Amino acid sequence: MGYDAMANEASVPAAISRDFGKKKKVNRSAKLKQCKLDARREQWLSQVKNKGCMDGSTGTMTTSPSHPKMSLPSPGQGVLGSRPRKMLPRVEMEPEGLGLQDSGLDSPVQSPTPSGNMQRKDCSSTSGSSGSSVGSCSRSVSDAEEDRQEEEKGEDKGGLDDWEAVADALSAVGNHTRTNSDSLKTVVDSRMYRIHHSDTRLVVGATRPDANRTIPRAWKPDDAARPQCLPNLSKQLSFPVNIERHFATSGWHRQAIISAPSSCPICVEDFDLTDSSFLPCSCGFRICLFCHKKILEEGDGRCPGCRKKYDRVACMENSVTGTGLSLPRRITRSCSMNSRS
Amino acid sequence: MQASRARLFKEYKEVQREKSVDPDIQLVCDDSNIFKWTALIKGPSETPYEGGVFQLAFAIPEQYPLLPPQVRFLTKIFHPNVHFKTGEICLDILKNAWSPAWTLQSVCRAIIALMAHPEPDSPLNCDSGNLLRSGDIRGYQSMARMYTRLAAMPKKG
Repeated sequence: MGYDAMANEASVPAAISRDFGKKKKVNRSAKLKQCKLDARREQWLSQVKNKGCMDGSTGTMTTSPSHPKMSLPSPGQGVLGSRPRKMLPRVEMEPEGLGLQDSGLDSPVQSPTPSGNMQRKDCSSTSGSSGSSVGSCSRSVSDAEEDRQEEEKGEDKGGLDDWEAVADALSAVGNHTRTNSDSLKTVVDSRMYRIHHSDTRLVVGATRPDANRTIPRAWKPDDAARPQCLPNLSKQLSFPVNIERHFATSGWHRQAIISAPSSCPICVEDFDLTDSSFLPCSCGFRICLFCHKKILEEGDGRCPGCRKKYDRVACMENSVTGTGLSLPRRITRSCSMNSRS
Repeated sequence: MQASRARLFKEYKEVQREKSVDPDIQLVCDDSNIFKWTALIKGPSETPYEGGVFQLAFAIPEQYPLLPPQVRFLTKIFHPNVHFKTGEICLDILKNAWSPAWTLQSVCRAIIALMAHPEPDSPLNCDSGNLLRSGDIRGYQSMARMYTRLAAMPKKG
């Protein structure tokens, strides 16, 4: 596929995307459509990129303004291979000076070139397809992929606006990286997004200050540049694991505890909040505080589950500090509080 | 009192729900008194009690489940750990090894297990215990089988 053909092919969606670009600030569904277009363009671009790789010359990149290889951000390079990257001289056109090398391409002046909107697109599609083969970039494949990505986008957009805003305000470095949730392990540099935002501004010709927030992104827990104020997802995710570990020694009781911890097995009353964090015996057999007191005073003072004598002191400590199950809960709670600060 | 009632009611619902789970045990609550229960248990297979159906009477104290239910055989049975005349059962979980985690259903299972594995060293029925302790397995089995046929099986004809 020649560059000319590529340019022609790309020019149509570029115009469309520009049209959509105006609406998308207003309309959320328009945003999704934009995403779809972007994904498709990214597919096409990856084809050309592969060709560019075969050429193996950086010179072609600079000489041909429509070469899409320039959309690659520098951090992506490690993943994407030894593809050469060239700084373009159109630095001054970038309003934020971040995504320098690409912005010029997408200015309305050079209309047949791919619109910058696509460049904020996931590197995943780019790297994935280009890494495998040129032939894999068929329409059907790219359609399926972009549908998936579109769904993801939708999820990401749901409710993450605030996080994005907060993080934008806090991390002036703006070097947010994010592992792509497409599990293609592509690190996407925030500069990509910046490029896109600024390009959007150029294309639409609007000077809306909130253009940066059009594409909300979530951080992965392992992102290096992830702001500290965000809740620690890894801890929350490990919560059930902690439960498993905690009750690993409790034998056959474990099943009952995990599955039906809602009521006391002795008096069949429902556990209240205090009861559910009350762990009277190390065997894991849980009863309500009321029955525990009754067993200590009127009964034989032994655990109904393992028939071991209740350790009164330990029981009191357990009920006060709420060891075991309530501990990870408290951790997560404090995390969420931190994140709100 | 209220706790035991709630607990027994829960057990009653459980029994109704899992009627088919354990076909060897049939637990019936007294129509007017939830503290009186009757159970029908089948004699375990490969024992002298096989083929017999034995009736148990449960008298549940108000402190239940802190205190164990009082259980006795209504059907006559020749077993070293069951009193031949009163039907009283010598079983640790009905005495000192009781745990509130046990239920009437699990007590029935324990009694079936006791029928399959008699403990002649703490006999309530001395004749039966002596037969076993002297090694006369055949004597014990024939006596137990005879009483099973006499008392725990439907009369022929």
